[in-house]
Amino acid sequence: MTKRRKYRGVLILLAAFHCLILFAGFFAPYDFATQNRDVPFAPPTGLHFVDAQGNFHARPFIYGLKSNPGHPMTLVAEQGEKYPLRFFVQGSRYKLAGLFNVNLHFFGVEGPAPVFLMGSDGYGRDQFSRFLYGGQISLLAGLLAAFLSVSLGIVLGAVSGFYGGWIDAALMRGGELFLALPWLYLLFAVRASMPLHIAAGQVFLLLIAVIGLIGWARPARLIRGVVLSAKERNFVLAAKGFGASDGYVLCRHVMPQTYGVALTQMTLLIPQYVLAEVTLSFLGVGVGEPMPSWGTLLAALQQYYVLSSYWWMFLPALILVPLFLAYYAVADAFQERLKPATL
Amino acid sequence: MRYITQRFFHAVLLLIAVSFFSFALLQLAPGDFFDAMRLNPQISRQTIGTLRSEYGLDKPLPIRYERWLRSVLKGELGLSLASNSPVAPLLRERARNTLLLSGAATVLAWLLALPIGIWAAVKRGGWADRACGLATSTILAVPDLLLFLALLLLAVRTGWFPTGGMASAGVDDLDRWGRLKDVAFHLALPAMGLALATMPALIRHIRSSMIEALESPFLRAARGHGIPRTRLVLRYAFPAASNPLISLFGFSVATMLSASALAEIVLSWPGLGPLLVESILSRDVFVVVGIVMLSSVFLVAGNLIADLLLFASDPRIRTE
Amino acid sequence: MPLDSEKTLKVGSGKQFGAEQAEELVRIEHLSKEYVQRRPLTGAEFTVRALEDANLTIRRGITLALVGESGAGKSTLGRCLALLEEPDSGEIWFDGKNLLKLSRRELFPMHRQIQLVFQDPTSALNPGMTAEEIITEPLAIHREGTKAQRRERARELMEQVDLPARLEHKRPLELSGGQRQRLAIARALALKPKLLVLDEALSSLDLLNQELILKLLADLQRIHSLTYLHISHDLRLVSQFADEVAVMHDRRIVEQQPASELFMQPHDRYTQELLAAMPSLESICAERLA
Repeated sequence: MTKRRKYRGVLILLAAFHCLILFAGFFAPYDFATQNRDVPFAPPTGLHFVDAQGNFHARPFIYGLKSNPGHPMTLVAEQGEKYPLRFFVQGSRYKLAGLFNVNLHFFGVEGPAPVFLMGSDGYGRDQFSRFLYGGQISLLAGLLAAFLSVSLGIVLGAVSGFYGGWIDAALMRGGELFLALPWLYLLFAVRASMPLHIAAGQVFLLLIAVIGLIGWARPARLIRGVVLSAKERNFVLAAKGFGASDGYVLCRHVMPQTYGVALTQMTLLIPQYVLAEVTLSFLGVGVGEPMPSWGTLLAALQQYYVLSSYWWMFLPALILVPLFLAYYAVADAFQERLKPATL
Repeated sequence: MRYITQRFFHAVLLLIAVSFFSFALLQLAPGDFFDAMRLNPQISRQTIGTLRSEYGLDKPLPIRYERWLRSVLKGELGLSLASNSPVAPLLRERARNTLLLSGAATVLAWLLALPIGIWAAVKRGGWADRACGLATSTILAVPDLLLFLALLLLAVRTGWFPTGGMASAGVDDLDRWGRLKDVAFHLALPAMGLALATMPALIRHIRSSMIEALESPFLRAARGHGIPRTRLVLRYAFPAASNPLISLFGFSVATMLSASALAEIVLSWPGLGPLLVESILSRDVFVVVGIVMLSSVFLVAGNLIADLLLFASDPRIRTE
Repeated sequence: MPLDSEKTLKVGSGKQFGAEQAEELVRIEHLSKEYVQRRPLTGAEFTVRALEDANLTIRRGITLALVGESGAGKSTLGRCLALLEEPDSGEIWFDGKNLLKLSRRELFPMHRQIQLVFQDPTSALNPGMTAEEIITEPLAIHREGTKAQRRERARELMEQVDLPARLEHKRPLELSGGQRQRLAIARALALKPKLLVLDEALSSLDLLNQELILKLLADLQRIHSLTYLHISHDLRLVSQFADEVAVMHDRRIVEQQPASELFMQPHDRYTQELLAAMPSLESICAERLA
């Protein structure tokens, strides 16, 4: 079954990526706020195995940076002193999983040369480190918001579908309200209704709440549909025939039919919500500097000279493509495998 | 006829609900437009207080809403705090630009998506169809933001397209035809970007609706009668698929509006999007509410049109 | 497969209770029910009358067949009796109690006494549950016994319905049609009901399975002193096992007789038409009576 193997492969890669983000502190050579004004907009540091004399080194090394004589505003590698790449080095302190103070990093370089795997930005900050830390914000925001949306959708959709009547009418009308606004406008509007300048941590939670709460309508509608058809099924009727209460029937027989849909919905919403956070931060109404949301990383591209001269600033956006593809593939897999069992 | 009036009333009610909802939402936020002024030592508290009451910002919510509603009926949509002028004229021009962009992008997207989607459905399972599927999946996964930034890069690097705005300098010197060409020239990039962003989803839905129609029993019967393939596809299958496609159109209005907001911001097209962000950052409440309401009106109108088209085209809905 | 020679026709022979003396278990009086439905595209409402002034009596220990064409209201009556639907008006007396006047709490134990077996076993069984879970569910709902005791009972019941014990961890989709119906019957018997309503329970099975299940039902009836209300549109099938037959037409019961009388001398015009539509029945009856 090559399809299944393909899905498994995708799932493993996805998990690995999330691990990378989760342990950003460990995998990132630098802190996200560390500035290095000597090397603004440095291109990605190349890893070399063969030096200028043609010798092969097993341990990769990098070169230092110097100004490019041809193009005054750019930097280029300086072929001279070699700085070997070391693994499990000591570096700046960070909190592992928010609890322990550690300063062990996966890799790093001794000496003055910086190792910018994804280049650096205008302040000389390592984009790779900022990308990993940024993932903690953007990806986590997407995951939590999707979870919030779907949970809310499940509860409201189940109540709506199962009990019907006025509560169903009220909830569906309410949902229409949310669906009557283009989602980006709604997002902006709700964001606008919250204080603009608040502490970074609060902004994050606020964003999750905003993005998650406005998106309940579509999952709720889908879940409602599943519940509506499930509650008419004969095995539900049979349970009622034993005298089972509504609550029992809802929990034991009806809700399990919704899990497939719920999971698929969540997987589909995650990319969308990550994008919502990125968009808000990109436009300056999300997480603010110096917090490294993927959106703030991309914000520099709004300036033409950055856009046209420093291609590596695009990288955070480019990495989103395979990430989203992976999520869509997983959603497809869920849809296939978790279809409610029918004959 | 009853169906139409029903839908219309429904739409109006919905818009009223949306207006109250968005108004209330925006008034929730602590602080207001005049907060920035408070930091300026030269402006006394009294002045701020007077300004506040002048704009009615110190009155309770229902009164503010009522005053705003009256302003809406007058055609003013409230007062812009930043420019101290009615909101409506500000929005008019921007709304026109947004509609121009969205309209152009919609036409472009459908013009391309229909033949591609139909063709993919006809050739389903073949390598062309699979290639198409791959392409749409990939573009779907590309965030709109990236798409627009990439196009901007293209414009900056090659100079084939202007990088923003709606008119070049010196446009007033041109005659009408020249001005139109100028607008079209500026419109090209954002419209292409928007169309590209929304096409993949359209193609997929068109393809699946067409496949459903092509595999239906009545079509197989028609094929058995020896009707030539092109005629089959265009005169038999396509009309059968028109019901879901018209619904798709209604649905695509929403996505188009959202996407256009982003496109306008990134590609500097002077529509509602950039104005929205601006007014959010400056807390120009009535402008924000006005824009949100307007976008809602567009969306509801789009759906209403789709409903009407459905009514006109699908006899099942007409028979009660 | 030859018919069991012991199982001769029930029409006319079989259990002769001296029908009048057997006491009444169920009496249904003036039962009416209508449904409100919506038209698909416009959502306009219209009512459907399912039952109108239906009257029926079921005596203890017998098999009453309820026949009639589709849409006559048979299923609705069965479901009202099994407490799955609420009639709009009328009375249902079960074992001396008026079911429709009971409170929710009083009604709960009544569910143990009347059970319904559905036409389609596949839809009546939760595809995500194992056979054992399905059978023990009613026991769990009524909090009978410990987990171990329930499992024991499940095994017992599976044996009674001729389901091999190794199937206890299988899900419905892994069982055959006949096995699923047996499972449904086992579940219905879990709470030791007095009355079993079989709503077209044999219609979805092939002829072979029909025979097997019929035999099973007869055995179970004997062992557990069950009363059956057998809803069916298949007169030929009914003639094989029914003690009494009630005919339903146009939402009412038009005739209720002991089986032999009904087949030989139907009173009602509709019943006559129904029987006339089955020409072979007369010859079957004649042959069997001989």
